[in-house]
Amino acid sequence: MAFISELIGRPVTDYDGTRIGVLKDLIARTYAEFSHPVVDAIIVHGSDGDITLPYSDLAALLSAAIPLKRPAVDIPKYESRESDIRLVEDVLDQQIIDTDDARVVRVNDIELVRVNGNVVISNVDIGVLGIMRRIGLEKLGRWAAQRFKADLSEGTISWEFVEPLTHDQSMRLKVPAEKLADLHPSDIAEIISNLSRAEHGEILHKLDIKQLAETLEEVEPDFQASIIEHFSDETMADVLEEMSPDEATDLLAELPDARRQDLLKLMETEEADEVRELLRYEEDTAGGLMTTEYVSVLPNMNAAQTIEHLRKVGEEAELVYYVYVTDEEERLIGVFSLSDLIIAQPETPITEFMHKRVVSVELDTEQNEIAQIVAKYNLIAVPVVDSENRMHGIVTSDDALDKILPTAWKKRLPHFFGALE
Amino acid sequence: MINFLTSLREKWRANRWVRRTAVILSVFGPATIAAMADNDAGGVATYSIAGATLGYPILFPLLIITFLLAVTQEMGMRLTLVTRRGLADLIREKYGVKVSLFIFVGLMIANLGTITTEVSAIRTVSGMLNIPATPFVIGMLLIAFVFITKGNYKLTQSIMLVVSLFYVTYIISAVKANPDWSLALSNLVYPNGVSWTSKYLVSYLVIGMGVLGTTITPWGQFFISSFAFDKKMDKDTLKYSQFETYWGALLTDFFSFFMIVATAAALNSHGYGVGGIQLQSGEQAALAIRPFAGELASELFAVGLLAAAFMGLVIVPLSTAYAFSEFFGLSGSLDTDFQKSKTFYILFIVQLVVAALITTIPGISLFHFAIATQTLNAMILPLVFFYLIKLTSSKKLMGLHVNNSFQKNFTTAASVFIVIASVFTVAAIVLKW
Repeated sequence: MAFISELIGRPVTDYDGTRIGVLKDLIARTYAEFSHPVVDAIIVHGSDGDITLPYSDLAALLSAAIPLKRPAVDIPKYESRESDIRLVEDVLDQQIIDTDDARVVRVNDIELVRVNGNVVISNVDIGVLGIMRRIGLEKLGRWAAQRFKADLSEGTISWEFVEPLTHDQSMRLKVPAEKLADLHPSDIAEIISNLSRAEHGEILHKLDIKQLAETLEEVEPDFQASIIEHFSDETMADVLEEMSPDEATDLLAELPDARRQDLLKLMETEEADEVRELLRYEEDTAGGLMTTEYVSVLPNMNAAQTIEHLRKVGEEAELVYYVYVTDEEERLIGVFSLSDLIIAQPETPITEFMHKRVVSVELDTEQNEIAQIVAKYNLIAVPVVDSENRMHGIVTSDDALDKILPTAWKKRLPHFFGALE
Repeated sequence: MINFLTSLREKWRANRWVRRTAVILSVFGPATIAAMADNDAGGVATYSIAGATLGYPILFPLLIITFLLAVTQEMGMRLTLVTRRGLADLIREKYGVKVSLFIFVGLMIANLGTITTEVSAIRTVSGMLNIPATPFVIGMLLIAFVFITKGNYKLTQSIMLVVSLFYVTYIISAVKANPDWSLALSNLVYPNGVSWTSKYLVSYLVIGMGVLGTTITPWGQFFISSFAFDKKMDKDTLKYSQFETYWGALLTDFFSFFMIVATAAALNSHGYGVGGIQLQSGEQAALAIRPFAGELASELFAVGLLAAAFMGLVIVPLSTAYAFSEFFGLSGSLDTDFQKSKTFYILFIVQLVVAALITTIPGISLFHFAIATQTLNAMILPLVFFYLIKLTSSKKLMGLHVNNSFQKNFTTAASVFIVIASVFTVAAIVLKW
């Protein structure tokens, strides 16, 4: 095992022992049968510039000096390939996506191991120890880690979980779509919030409409607005339909009036109407936070009928855990949970087990108050009613608590400086 | 911003100067942010001492500094818009860990100096308003900390507004003080109207470095690039962004100009010159805005200085933390949110506490701190410029948007000049010229 930071700068000597130069970079190739790239050549910085020498002509690589097997003059010119990875130039110090933990990190060092006569990239070091090694303080780092009982293994990730972000001029981003699709939308959101605009554009274009909608729901509203600039109005309309109405409303609220109207016109009438209704309310009130996708039933149903009904409409609803009971004029008269429903005998009328004293908020109730109510009664969602007790929607607990919980500082910074615009 | 100002305008319809400022600010937009952030408490103190001690001749370097500010900020902005990476990102990726660490340490020292000046300004304010210093400083540090963790639009706006109104009082004071305008303006072109004694020359050099360091800051170079990174700007808006940075530079020094003229008119010609009375207290510095504020000059100065200090106290430590994460990329994953914030909080608190401790050294006034720390800022500048110039001159990185020969030569010459001036400044201080 060796680290690239230790190898770079080591002398490379010719067959007869004369010094050619020092090791400058390693070229690795990926093979379909290996998950880890294999070192295929080295770049030597000599007095006449850089020379590339194939790995097969080296007597040893992971040694104090790197001797050649045959005279350098006999070695044919190295044919580089498109897929070659230059470890120092393309990987070291660059940002990569750690697809295992779903985050963007910086490569502090690269770990190499010998496998069956080949040298293979095993891990990348993203930890503090990697930095310490680069500045020649590895021993101090290890001593401190031991002293303070820090775990050093967490600083490395296996190459299998690494996707390099190639930062060349054309901004190609080599993230395979299938790897992205496996990630949770909130992980994708975290990754793109760490990238620049052009880069997150590349990632987003690899997602399908449903993934895109779910990812958009996870990012901050002002960031959403910058993301959707990557897409045509038609695509965005499809995405907005896929999003839950309350999230779609928040997004649309961030847009200029003209763009918002255009998008609403392109959306299906039913979804567009729901959003239009929600847009009328202040962003931080129950009306602005609520979603209209809840499940309600009439009081004349029994448990079995209700379960049947849920099977039909549950797909559309944001939350089916609570079933609300409303009369013909949509006045809220009761609520029961799924567990109430399942425990009840099939033919029991729902009015027998529903809770009649329903905790609800009004359309103009402020977010702080909703959060308090949600926390106090331990609710997953709270119904929103108007002055005549007619039900308009529900605010889910995550939406109610969303802006009250502190988020990471990094997201604050753009807010802070963007405040005056 | 515009909505906020409209409502303010309605409330203060009767009051002409508030209305005018509001209009000016609404036109300036993001450039205002950059400009306001540059003129912190350290700036107020440095310009005050420059005007009081040296008079109008210190306006001469100001014009060149403005130009250098515009060109270097534009370079930083262009670099990020073209490469899509921050300045710290690029330094790390192109020059590795050692260089990154070196520059980060430089930035941290410079920032720590600036934060010390901000804390010192808060102490000065506490003295002027007769509030016990220690609880006041601790209180302000706590507020700054809460402010950072919670972030608040309205308060940000209010503080920026107070600061900008404070600067406007200098403009009005400068006009009302009836300064010798021909002398002031001619000094923008060539320094004149004083006798160039060796004592004056040394002060001119040291304070000139201070003016440079408070106008162009190392953190400002990192700030502009992360600003461009976070904003919705792309290559197509390059021309507009360039105009924006020039405009911001002009605006910053527009205020600086009047601040120097106001203090020069009020103090320099009244016995505060080289070898005369030393500017040491807030009350003395407040005399500069007396033509406008009259008897309330001290109170107004205290409030303005406090707002400027608070702004610096929030922005400067943030820039250290932000640069740290760019350089070393120690961001955590979603489930280690606390871990991720921990590094930031520790960095932030340590900076504030160290700065607060430094200010407890007795007998050093805000104005001493300001000159010392802003001179230090200036000395670290060439280090940042070196990499900024190298990166923006790289054809491979910048393509068509590579520096033209003027941009490259002007900034290189300026960096060399700053290095020479730094050597002389250190010599002047060490050898007590």
